[in-house]
Amino acid sequence: MRVILESKVRKKPTLPIEAEAIIPRNFLKGTDLLVYEGNKERKLSELFWIFVEGTAVSPENIEVVLKGDTSRIKRVGEYMDTGSILISRDIGMHCGNFMSGGTIEILGNADAWLGREMRGGTILCRGNAGHYCATGYRGEKKGMQGGKVEVFGNTGDFCAEYLAGGEVHVHGSTGDFPGVEMRGGQLIIEGDVTRPCANMKDGTCVILGRVHEMIPTFEKIDRRVLPEWKITADVYKGDVANRGKGMLMIKNPGEV
Amino acid sequence: MTELLVKNACVIDPIRGINGDIMDIAIRDGRIVESVSDRAEVIDAQRCLTLPGGIDSHTHVCGTKVNFGRYMSPEDMRAGRTQRRGRMHVTSGYYVPTTFGNSYRYSAMGYTTLLEGAMAPLEARHTHEEFTATPHQDMMANTLFDGNWAVMDAVREKNVKKAAAIVGWTLNAVKGYGIKLTNPGGTEAWGWGEDLTSIREPVPHFEVTPAEIITTMIRANELLKLPHSVHLHCNNLGKPGNYQTTLDTFDLVPDLNPDRQTLYATHVQFHAYGGGTWRNICSKTEEITRSVNSKPQIVMDMGQIMFCRTMTMTADGPMEFNLHCLHHNKWSNHDVELETGSGIIPVTYSKKSAVNCIMWAIGLELALLTKSPWQCLLETDNPNGAPFVKYPEVIGLLMSKRYRDEECATLHADTEGRTSLWALEREMDWHDIAVMTRAGQAKALGIINQGKGHLGIGAEADIAIYPIRTDSVDPAREYRKVVEGFQKTSYTIKRGRVVSRDGEIIVDGANTTFWVNARIPEDLRVDNDPEFIRRFQEYYTVRMSNYPVQDLYLPRGRRVDTEAFT
Amino acid sequence: MILNDVVCPFCGCLCDDLELEVEGDRVVRVQNGCSLAEATFMNDTRLPAPIRRTTTGWEKISYDEAIKETADILKDADRPLLYGWSSTHGEAQSVGVHIAERIGAVIDNTSTVCHGPSILAIQEVGHPGCTLGQVKNRADVIIYWGCNPIEAHPRHMSRYTTFATGFFVPDAQRERTVIVVDTRRNDTANIADEFLQMEPGGDYAVLSALRAIVRGKESIIPKKVAGISKEQLIRVANICKNAKFGAIFFGLGLTMSRGKYKNVRNAIELTDELSRHTKFVISPMRGHGNVYGSNEVFTWMTGYPFAVDFARGIAFYNPGETTAVDILRRGECDAALIVASDPGANFPRVAAAHLAKIPTVLIDPHVNATTALSRIHIPCTAAGIDAAGTAYRMDGVPIRMKKVIERGYPDDAEILKKIYDRLNGEMGS
Repeated sequence: MRVILESKVRKKPTLPIEAEAIIPRNFLKGTDLLVYEGNKERKLSELFWIFVEGTAVSPENIEVVLKGDTSRIKRVGEYMDTGSILISRDIGMHCGNFMSGGTIEILGNADAWLGREMRGGTILCRGNAGHYCATGYRGEKKGMQGGKVEVFGNTGDFCAEYLAGGEVHVHGSTGDFPGVEMRGGQLIIEGDVTRPCANMKDGTCVILGRVHEMIPTFEKIDRRVLPEWKITADVYKGDVANRGKGMLMIKNPGEV
Repeated sequence: MTELLVKNACVIDPIRGINGDIMDIAIRDGRIVESVSDRAEVIDAQRCLTLPGGIDSHTHVCGTKVNFGRYMSPEDMRAGRTQRRGRMHVTSGYYVPTTFGNSYRYSAMGYTTLLEGAMAPLEARHTHEEFTATPHQDMMANTLFDGNWAVMDAVREKNVKKAAAIVGWTLNAVKGYGIKLTNPGGTEAWGWGEDLTSIREPVPHFEVTPAEIITTMIRANELLKLPHSVHLHCNNLGKPGNYQTTLDTFDLVPDLNPDRQTLYATHVQFHAYGGGTWRNICSKTEEITRSVNSKPQIVMDMGQIMFCRTMTMTADGPMEFNLHCLHHNKWSNHDVELETGSGIIPVTYSKKSAVNCIMWAIGLELALLTKSPWQCLLETDNPNGAPFVKYPEVIGLLMSKRYRDEECATLHADTEGRTSLWALEREMDWHDIAVMTRAGQAKALGIINQGKGHLGIGAEADIAIYPIRTDSVDPAREYRKVVEGFQKTSYTIKRGRVVSRDGEIIVDGANTTFWVNARIPEDLRVDNDPEFIRRFQEYYTVRMSNYPVQDLYLPRGRRVDTEAFT
Repeated sequence: MILNDVVCPFCGCLCDDLELEVEGDRVVRVQNGCSLAEATFMNDTRLPAPIRRTTTGWEKISYDEAIKETADILKDADRPLLYGWSSTHGEAQSVGVHIAERIGAVIDNTSTVCHGPSILAIQEVGHPGCTLGQVKNRADVIIYWGCNPIEAHPRHMSRYTTFATGFFVPDAQRERTVIVVDTRRNDTANIADEFLQMEPGGDYAVLSALRAIVRGKESIIPKKVAGISKEQLIRVANICKNAKFGAIFFGLGLTMSRGKYKNVRNAIELTDELSRHTKFVISPMRGHGNVYGSNEVFTWMTGYPFAVDFARGIAFYNPGETTAVDILRRGECDAALIVASDPGANFPRVAAAHLAKIPTVLIDPHVNATTALSRIHIPCTAAGIDAAGTAYRMDGVPIRMKKVIERGYPDDAEILKKIYDRLNGEMGS
């Protein structure tokens, strides 16, 4: 079954919409769902043209497609556990919060907190992702704990902060402090970064691009070949400002 | 004039010696009376369990430290969120809820009076502000004197009268209720990053020992004729082997007051550990309860822990730092000049941890081994051992051996050999629970004559009606019904008004704060003592004139006068 | 008339030992206060009456009219913002929170543009601190990091630190070692025993290096970190470890420089590390007189210190998303109530510009830059001058600000209460 939601033109287009109801499972029982626009409750149909194609008996066979201007729509795919969501353009904050299964694909850019506290499943972002991509909630010890987030463009600051499990793969560059407070999982950045993995405790980070402003409290322990990436990398352990046992591997800058 | 008649109530009122009689309760203008007119509104209790409103004699719900617990825990605020609804304001939080969250949840459980366990005098205004925002319970504040410089000077000079005068002035200034000592002397040592390890070790610079502070304050407390006794959080909290410190402390306590205990020892679970390390920690509840059973001058509360994520918060700064070094999670500390300290860290009590399982067993053992329920009151040192919403489960465990056995079967394998819980057959009855959750507290806090903790004529009409039929529920078998029944009253009546109905708050609250004014003879008053004033102005960072809490912070304050030194 | 032990409401020090001479409705002399206190009490020019913007200028309106119109604006809004609160008392702040939950607003305070990052850091690692009297009576090592108390908190050093006589530090100037860390040599640096001049944006690296040194890992530290020599870092780490009682104070130089809350977190973790060797504490130098009070009131009422979003009925918190500047920058909000602050002067231009586009009401005693962006400006009392109320000092000590004169203005809590009552009446339960 495919559910197509095409956003309607709104009187106040900058008002945020909170739409945690948009997950495949919910459409098993129809399209009579509620979302919020600012502080007002709205029917899904007030904000979207809804088209349903085909039928489904189980949620894993449901694909939700979002079209039109969806850049202000938050929390799409929150707690999603199965099925798929395809977003044709940009998506608002908190896409895929707490997601545990299924696939979200974003053809445009994603706003901040993409895949926050994710437990499983896959998020593919073809454009750029904002700040706090694949991170956690304020005050919580663990951020993303499982699944995979793949960003084909760049990300903002604090990418994979508090990463505790799963994999984050950024094809482009990140902003400041990627992998800060990392305590598990794997972070791969193909582009350039500043201040990677500050205060990391555990986990592995591989950087193929250039590193600006390396944190001074990483201990260089090795240089080794990473066959998976076909590079020679400097291997650091840290962050020794704490009792960190994390691994930071940076492509040898001498290599072309 | 407003009148209310509760009919067909199955009343347990231990203070008046009523145990399960079916009776009517007449209420006029907030108090219990002989009879009301036929215009009175009627509630049919349908023979359900009806108790005086619950009283918590040691909880942390308001003030600087509690609020800092909230401030640093956005992750907890995501739990327990409710929307504004009818008379209810928004609430957030599970183990450190907002003030309204605390108040509504206590009210739903039938609690109508709370004693905030620790108020730093310098920050008393904050506690009172939060009291006002905790509208469904009458409040009292234990006032911290454990590291009070002027008190320690008086102790060194062996001047009990002066110590009493300082306490009296301070209680009046900060609108406090009683004396709280948290790790006496240790909080001052923590000002240098140190702690004391025995009650005979002197406090740096002040050269007084915890034992001297405790005994002096006990005498000062009785000189001031305070309604409550000294309320003590013993030294060495949470350290394996600390039971000896606790026993030594209990041995210091004379029997000075015919109406109540002379010492209230709080959260004794945290003070009843044998062994010498975390690896060989074990229960010493037999030794502790043997001491308490032979000393009517001591009342304790359990400090039960329950398996959950929660927040520890105490004036015991050094203890919190030690705990932080074990847990490596976030840690806050807040020392208060010339007075006390405090620390806060989140913890998770887990059945996978042998230490946690032993702690859990110790709390229950204390209650089951203490012969008189009046001497071991039920609480969790909220939120330190568990948030107070866990009380119904504690009640269930005390009333049902089967429930305990089922829980015990899920614990870490090392627990049985280092505790005695498995062997304890005792099952508490409804009357015991009524004592341990209200009557005992009223007696210990000295508020029976304020009309609290009983339903006699003239008492405040604070009443909890639980959806429990004691004639048909067997708590030993049907403990789940007991737990559920105590989670949500059918009616909570506060000062003659139904405030909560089936867990839903239906009116705005209007609580009272009790505080003590001990009248001290002119010649002994410290605010007439030039040396006291000089030291205050020199070493505090607020002026002495700006220190006292103005009456307007207690919009419905109730002053309890005592004739000190008579 | 002479008034003693008056509380200055201006900055987070809340000095409570001022002596004021008052004549009628004017303060004519300020003793013991700093120059900022003097200006607060003496240069107190007020907006005389409520005003409303017309097509050509401003018109005077009555309080009743202003209150009614404010309630109407808020009632219909889809995403109202209530912002400010730091220069008024707790009594007004708590009415503000009730209004926010009533209308599903976002409520935020000025922490957003000052110590919000400190709060985020504390939420990650906690806060080992104390009241200022602990520092005054005990500290032998004082560190000022990214702040210039001589300018911003002029009496901080004389009341609480460097020059204050303490019980265990009777000869303060000789017995206390002062360390200043900053990117520029400021006035405070000139009186420091040790000045660490750091390249801009170097805070995080320097703090990490200090932590590692304290942990005995100095061998991996490079010769220079953000322009500071390894020798100096080791020397400073030793001073800290050998202190009897050390205290770090930090300001916007740390919270608002690159990395923001991660800088503060690193400083807190340094304090934690040092606490394993000796006594160490850390405190933010809070700016506005009662900004800390707004954090306290918000916290006990909503669970969060700032940036609380009630759009969904429950309290939601996520700085970066629910913070005033971010909501304005994204053009989300469609009505704003500003109380006791001046975002027009302190917010980024794009955020302030949005305030001018939407109906904005300002409740503040003084004409300020936000007046120019507002539709209505309602003058009120100034807390600590012609209104009494509760404020929280930067270290959490609650102090009652006094009313020292009467100027005939209504209290902002009273105005807000009327708005709240009107909203309750019109919106039903």
